Amino acid sequence: MGPSRLTILVQSSRLKGRLKGSRLEASRDWSASAPTREGALVKVWDLPLRLSHWAMACCVLIAWFTPNTYDALHRSAGYGVLALTLFRLVWGFVGTRYSRFQNPLRTFRVLPRYLWAIGRGRSRRYLGLNPAGRAMSITMLLLLAVSGISGWMQVTLRFFGVAWVQDTHTYTSYAVILLALVHVAGVVLMSIRQKENLVRAMVTGWKWTGGTRPGTPA
Amino acid sequence: MKALTSVLALLALSFTITNPARADGYKTCTKLEKASWKPASEAEAKAKAAGYEVRRSKIEGSCYEVYGVKDGKLFELFYSPEDLSLKHTIAK
Repeated sequence: MGPSRLTILVQSSRLKGRLKGSRLEASRDWSASAPTREGALVKVWDLPLRLSHWAMACCVLIAWFTPNTYDALHRSAGYGVLALTLFRLVWGFVGTRYSRFQNPLRTFRVLPRYLWAIGRGRSRRYLGLNPAGRAMSITMLLLLAVSGISGWMQVTLRFFGVAWVQDTHTYTSYAVILLALVHVAGVVLMSIRQKENLVRAMVTGWKWTGGTRPGTPA
Repeated sequence: MKALTSVLALLALSFTITNPARADGYKTCTKLEKASWKPASEAEAKAKAAGYEVRRSKIEGSCYEVYGVKDGKLFELFYSPEDLSLKHTIAK
């Protein structure tokens, strides 16, 4: 028996009262009492997802440090990004439960509430991606696609030396790095707050169910 | 967890530090101050005269970088704004 059920009830009913029963993420707070090693150890991230995630991280890192100086390497990393983005888009439809996309409209609708809840230290724990994570992954994939495609266009006969293609590639690439840093910061924050090493979970795929509600959304 | 945090903080720091230093392929063509540079259009004209289809030119460091196409191949030509001599060519 982990957190006191009473505490949670009191806490959430108090919040609900204050927020007039709105469907705020904050009203479903479980994070404050999320145990580290409780519940069952379950497989959350499947192998293709984990492999593609870390391969993508490598490709983006290589691409970030190689433009102009190591052209061939930069190009290979870019093609890697394109292939992995394509794979991820497909995997979002045919992968296992926590790899699959959810309705992005819903994600971006609940995002402000969830971010607000994070700011108040009352974000609930999700077994899969939380709303911020889902918004991050979809935005990142779109940016990676635009960055990869515009980079590839730059070395085609038709689009070589075309200013808007170069600018698009530059700005989306900067945005990717910026988002990657936000992503890493978010992972660190939630790891500390939920006392769970999320980086290790993305390596092994396993997570404890403790602190998440049964039938928790992915 | 502490180790993880510090590693990530270091990573973020390295990004901010290395970013301005991200070297471009070729940047130095002249020491002449910008006010006395010849116009970029002359660099473009030189590339055209050399048989390139000029797509674009821009200033890269102290060079004029001209994007040119010749025989279906892509080139970046670096001219000195001082005397319009060709300093460097990169085949893409």
